[in-house]
Amino acid sequence: MTTSLTDRYLAATLRSVPTARREEIADELRASIGDMIDGRTADGLDAATAEREVLTELGNPAQLAARYTDRRLQLIGPEYYPAWRRLLITLVSTIPPVVGVLMAVLETTTADNPGGAVGAGVSAAFNVAVQIAFWVTVVFAVLERIGTPLNLPEWTVDQLPDEPVDRDISLTDVCASIVVLGLFIAILPWQQFQTVVGDGDRLPILDPALWTSWLPVLVVVLVASIGLEFAKYRARRWSWPLVAVNALLGLAFAVPAIWLLLTDRLFNADFTARFSWLRDGGVDTVARITVVVIVVVTVWDVIDSAIKARRNGR
Amino acid sequence: MGTDDVLRTHLQELRRGTVVVASLVALRQPDYGYALLQRLAGHGFAVDANTLYPLLRRLEEQGLLTSEWNTEESRPRKFYRTSDAGEQLLTRLLDDLAAVQTSLTALIEGAPR
Repeated sequence: MTTSLTDRYLAATLRSVPTARREEIADELRASIGDMIDGRTADGLDAATAEREVLTELGNPAQLAARYTDRRLQLIGPEYYPAWRRLLITLVSTIPPVVGVLMAVLETTTADNPGGAVGAGVSAAFNVAVQIAFWVTVVFAVLERIGTPLNLPEWTVDQLPDEPVDRDISLTDVCASIVVLGLFIAILPWQQFQTVVGDGDRLPILDPALWTSWLPVLVVVLVASIGLEFAKYRARRWSWPLVAVNALLGLAFAVPAIWLLLTDRLFNADFTARFSWLRDGGVDTVARITVVVIVVVTVWDVIDSAIKARRNGR
Repeated sequence: MGTDDVLRTHLQELRRGTVVVASLVALRQPDYGYALLQRLAGHGFAVDANTLYPLLRRLEEQGLLTSEWNTEESRPRKFYRTSDAGEQLLTRLLDDLAAVQTSLTALIEGAPR
């Protein structure tokens, strides 16, 4: 007994079965479906309903076919998943940011549009990330299908991380951040008095007028950032209040700094006048590159802290 | 996941291997897919059709079952029978099943409740 529904089911099932075995599986499955339908009609069900019930019981043809061919219904199985994940995280967290910054810097130096440079950098980074994710996944999906052994070194206890992971803000990171912030603060007065220009003259790099307006603000923000580092270390891990304060401090530094750079108020005019390349538009290039770096670093810092706070779930 | 789901997955895990054992035992007497399904169900092995049919093919490919088409009746059917290799494997599996049962019994009796 063959009916169109059974035929369609068989066709759908056998589509993905290798040709060599298709014929025999088809004959057997057809007989089995017939037997099952007969079993139900014997119980008083009409043929059409019985057929529907039987095919429903056998389920999705793609799944049945996978069982016949012993094929796994997964893109990347447990054997390859850890390697795939590690490689993907490593590549996506390193290459796109580098490409993005390079693109942005390239854009600032060639085009006359710092806002566009940030956009170009972000879209380049995004495109690279998508490409990496796609191709890495394709390669692993192919490996999974042809069953290539990865021959990775066996995991050993020696690979365990040194520190227990009850904190994700390490002393090293905090110390490094404090040193950098401290140096930054120290540079401000240093550049005022100690920058040597050519023949022994000393000229401030930054506009000295800023000492009575924005520079004290930036120093306060930097000092507060050092305070935040201490708070982070005491808290052991990122929390949402810390993320908020961090974002606020990031903005409090980035916004005035970017504004000063873009409105050409940051640098000492006497200083830039001394160097011909700075006079001839060089100062704009420096300003644009600095803006891009500040934006990327600030955005990344906020995203990174938010991701970590979210992972900690508090 | 609800308690029912947990129970169902664990029962499924527990039953999975026994379908092979039951099929190898039942097919000492040759039979075709649907009839085997009915026989197993009659003995308390409720196997899904979409599990059993592919399983029979797989066991055949592993040489544990032999098959023969019976075309005498109106509907040609493929009859499976446990092969010699299947019989040897079955002996090992049954021994292991008994060993598991023994160990479990000992564990239950030895453990304070």
